Amino acid sequence: MEHVLEFQHISKYFPGVKALDDISFKAYSGEVLAFLGENGAGKSTLLKTLNGDYQPTSGKYLLDGAEKHFKSPHEAIEEGISIIYQERQILLELSVAENIYLGRMPVGKFGMIDTAKANRMAEKIIEDFGLPIRPDTKVKDLSIAYQQMVEIMKAYSRENLKVIAFDEPTASLSDSEIESLFKIIRKLKAEDKIIIYVSHRMEEIEEITDKVAIFKDGHYVDTVKTGECPQSEMIRMMVGRDLGDIYNNLDRNKEIGEVLLEVKNVSSDYVKPNSFSLRKGEVLGFSGLVGAGRTELMRAIIGADRMKSGEVILEGRKLNIHSPHDAMDEGIVLVPEDRKLQGIIANLSVADNINISMLDKHSNKLGFINTAEEREAAQEGIRNFRVKTPSPDKKIVELSGGNQQKVIVARWLGTNPKVLILDEPTKGIDVGAKSEFYNMICRFAKQGLGVILISSELPEVIGLSDRIIVMKGRQIAGEVSREEATETNLLSLAMIGRVEK
Amino acid sequence: MKKLKISGDKLVLIAAIIVVFILFTLLNRNFLSITNVINILIAASLVGLVAIGHTYLIIAGQNDLSPGSLAAFSGVLAATLVSMGLPFLLACIITIAAGMVVGVLNAFMVNKIHLEAFIATLVTQSVIRGFAYIICGGKPIAISNKSYLLLGKLRILNIPVSVWIMILCIVVFGIVLSKTKFGRSIYAIGGSQEAARLAGLNPQRIITTSFIMMGALCAIGGIIFSARMNSGQPAANVNLEFDAITAVILGGVSFQGGVGDMGGTILGIILIQAFNTGLTMVNVPSFWQYVAKGGLLLFALTTDYIRKQRREKELLELSMKNL
Repeated sequence: MEHVLEFQHISKYFPGVKALDDISFKAYSGEVLAFLGENGAGKSTLLKTLNGDYQPTSGKYLLDGAEKHFKSPHEAIEEGISIIYQERQILLELSVAENIYLGRMPVGKFGMIDTAKANRMAEKIIEDFGLPIRPDTKVKDLSIAYQQMVEIMKAYSRENLKVIAFDEPTASLSDSEIESLFKIIRKLKAEDKIIIYVSHRMEEIEEITDKVAIFKDGHYVDTVKTGECPQSEMIRMMVGRDLGDIYNNLDRNKEIGEVLLEVKNVSSDYVKPNSFSLRKGEVLGFSGLVGAGRTELMRAIIGADRMKSGEVILEGRKLNIHSPHDAMDEGIVLVPEDRKLQGIIANLSVADNINISMLDKHSNKLGFINTAEEREAAQEGIRNFRVKTPSPDKKIVELSGGNQQKVIVARWLGTNPKVLILDEPTKGIDVGAKSEFYNMICRFAKQGLGVILISSELPEVIGLSDRIIVMKGRQIAGEVSREEATETNLLSLAMIGRVEK
Repeated sequence: MKKLKISGDKLVLIAAIIVVFILFTLLNRNFLSITNVINILIAASLVGLVAIGHTYLIIAGQNDLSPGSLAAFSGVLAATLVSMGLPFLLACIITIAAGMVVGVLNAFMVNKIHLEAFIATLVTQSVIRGFAYIICGGKPIAISNKSYLLLGKLRILNIPVSVWIMILCIVVFGIVLSKTKFGRSIYAIGGSQEAARLAGLNPQRIITTSFIMMGALCAIGGIIFSARMNSGQPAANVNLEFDAITAVILGGVSFQGGVGDMGGTILGIILIQAFNTGLTMVNVPSFWQYVAKGGLLLFALTTDYIRKQRREKELLELSMKNL
């Protein structure tokens, strides 16, 4: 029997962000449908509004013509809609069978759980899947790939399973593991399930999917047949414009000066000892996979985490930094990755957010704030960084993500820093604001600042940096000059620690 | 930067105060007499001092359950010191210093042992109450020192000195909260401690300062209260923090942190003290007064919740409009 899952005018707003904007399309059973789009295009958010993790602001879902509305992922699972996430959602201390039948273990006489029966039932599914694991093995003793299989089996064990979605399932799998995952996806497809497959990897999309739904900045663009549409065309649809132009038009005409910052063997509880240097006017990219230790290294440098070893030398002088305040006084500042929790101070206005790091500068000995100076500084920040706000007194949370980020940058530039560290500065920001940031970064470098740019978007880090350091496993794996920087080089350094010739 | 304007929340509070005054005046004609209004203010003076401290702490995302114990301890300590022959002023200085040490202790537990302020100050609530009994052997210490007693009796322009002290503290700490670096930092760490720290503030120092301030305010309040009672009483001021927190939340400070101001706290103090005095005047049995006060706190918390919901809803609407 054929099933249809219909997305009807789905929108989802968060404060400052329109994550999904009027999305409508259909997914059919017996097909694998890919979701393709840049980071922040709305793919994961769409899945979360489908299974009740988020509530859509407007719009509805129809499964075989019947409207579905879930208050929680649990309700969705009960109705046969399961999502397999990147992060495992299983209980490591329980067995395979216990995980598969979690919350609905078969019950024998006197209400006692019948583990033997659960194991027999699980055994059958494991056989179906053709896996070499035992139902009574504790999940923590399995490899990541098999842990993921347990999750899939858990979803599969529901007799009414109709929709199964995979959110970047191959992120931590090896090639042979990916192959066995695909085998199972093909099996699910043959059993007429509706299958959604979210991934960035074009080769995988080519191999396993039948159709591709393309998203861009929270909009649905189109659905194309995988075999019939060339990859370059799909990428053009998902980017919407040629990003190459943005990078080519940047003003990178500048002079790189003498060494500004030297970091020697800096380590913390969260990162191994690392050394690097930064010159005046240089944009130094930091690339690597998520969790490679880039953020942690910067946090150790600015004293946000306790530095366990090493030293930081600025303009030939050894610094003694114990807190972000010390770092700020020395001229080293960080725009953090987690804008919502570590960047903005949500209860304060735009003006107060700009001025929060300049309180010393704008107050007298008794601690009284000079409001005229503050107002001026706020207006200057808003003007210089083109923050779109109706007034400096607006709460910062009322602004869009990109404008909030500009406020944080304005906050730090007001302190006249020498080294500006930007941690994923364009994450969750729309394309227009992104190119504004790129111009800003080039301007800072031209003015003689040393800029450290941490970015997981390879084109961004390649397009902006003069030199790129790649981290892997909490330490620096290598360095690539601007000329040699290609996505392949950076990725192979980040993943296997060396550049393949 | 901000113009003096009265927000909708404050208007509601003012209306509530008017309703309470009208209601109790109808029930007992003496309620609005000058003597009684001054009585309300006298009773408010101790709660008021503590509420100032709570305004700072709760905006900073903290709390304090030890003020009742600390005020009682301070009254007993000052009375004991004076009875030992120390000059009144010196006794005051030592007592206030002791209050500040308790503040340091609270801050230490919050900053270094990473306890929730609610739990940490529950520790001091018990420990300090214990010491209040220990130093006097469980019996109230009578006060005979003239200047000490004068503190409880002296009136300036017919208004007792304790009320003047409260007014002075409210004005000073109100200005500090709205006009200084320290005040701004209180709001910032209440909004997000980690963001504030990364922005170059020192949240631990700000929290410590606030607890020390609270300690000093409780000590001052305790001394004044003992002067009015002519003795230092170890069993006094139970549930003092309860009234102060109710007043502060009624006044618009949010348990979420980062929101509120001293103006709201003033109105909150007036409301809760009028309510308390009114209940006594219309002869509500004291057992039922506890129930009524609990009801008032529930009302305050409910309005806090509704305000929070409204803030979030407005925010979502505004951000949608800006897109």
